Amino acid sequence: MTRIAWWMVESLSRLLDDGEREVVRGDLAECGTRAAHALREVVGLVIRRQAVMWCDWRPWFVMASVVVPIGLLLSYASRSWGVTSAHDISIYWRFWDFSYLAVPGWRRDVIDVAVRIGSGCLALVGWSWTCGFVLGRFSRRTVWLTGLMFAVVVFFGTLGTTIAGQPPENPSLRYHVVFVVLPRFFRTFLVVLPLAWGAYHGSKASSPRLGRTLLGVAVLAGATFLVSQGLERSLVFGGLVPADPGPDGFLISADDPRPLWFLSLVMMWPAAYILAEASRERGTRRPSRA
Amino acid sequence: MQLGEFEYLMLTAVARLGDGAYGVAIRQEIEDATGRPCSLGALYTTIDRLEQKGLVKTSMGDPTPQRGGRPKRMVRITSKGTQAATTFYNAVIRVSRGVAWSAAK
Repeated sequence: MTRIAWWMVESLSRLLDDGEREVVRGDLAECGTRAAHALREVVGLVIRRQAVMWCDWRPWFVMASVVVPIGLLLSYASRSWGVTSAHDISIYWRFWDFSYLAVPGWRRDVIDVAVRIGSGCLALVGWSWTCGFVLGRFSRRTVWLTGLMFAVVVFFGTLGTTIAGQPPENPSLRYHVVFVVLPRFFRTFLVVLPLAWGAYHGSKASSPRLGRTLLGVAVLAGATFLVSQGLERSLVFGGLVPADPGPDGFLISADDPRPLWFLSLVMMWPAAYILAEASRERGTRRPSRA
Repeated sequence: MQLGEFEYLMLTAVARLGDGAYGVAIRQEIEDATGRPCSLGALYTTIDRLEQKGLVKTSMGDPTPQRGGRPKRMVRITSKGTQAATTFYNAVIRVSRGVAWSAAK
């Protein structure tokens, strides 16, 4: 118990500035404070420090503009694409035949599926990384909390909704993999980990290089363009937005109205911010070199 | 400069301790004087506030073995801090004149 409490003291004190952390741990050592009391002291100090930081507008701005809206969209998109990708992969896995590549129509189907899965994965990673970067850049010292909230929104944003209907009474292993494991895999490896990676980069003082940023934003914009309809459908089939099949009365046909087209722009604003920052940084660096 | 009660206590402790004013010593001084526990959170957030007001200055002291090789945060009162504490003290003296608290019990 004591070791756990000291481990918690050690972990929590990392939320303090480097200098303050050393001073506080020195104070605790000098007073010979017991583990439980030390934990209480550090928790109190961390809460006070966090409270002061949340008096600033930046953490609230990223909560309102990134964590809640984009976290929710990523929650729906990652679940939907996790399920559809798992469906496609499991079908090809089961019935794979190399003749799929020989017949032009079948080959096109394979390529379509590969492009859809690839661009979906790329878009999820890119959106999450850029969101993490913005969280880290706007409010470095609250990033652990805003990042945690982002992960909570991603994992629980679709709670109470389903795209699979009622689960069977005795779900098969395949059902479990397709509807449970894959969405979680997508959320963990394509959303939360890139988010943490982006937050780490955003927290650092250095700005991204313009050339690399331009390339990254162009790739992400391309992936976003390819998956924009899929993003909208993930909300429709996830039950967040009512479905409108358009004049022909059939869903997923060419005449479906797209009132949510602007969501792609919402997903791209963190990337646009990073690009703007990289451009500004280059602009300010140039005169000093001259 | 407006001072709170705890800020005044801290300035007094820092002034009393002189060159030996740092986290643990200030805390001990306040606890001895008030008979109430003083948390690290209250201590360091108040020191920061006083520093922002320009009433104290802080610096990092040398690491000591007693502290596991970690430094102290030394605190020194400024002339502005001395003035603010004097003003607060005079106000307390003035407002207390003619009141016998021990008799009122």
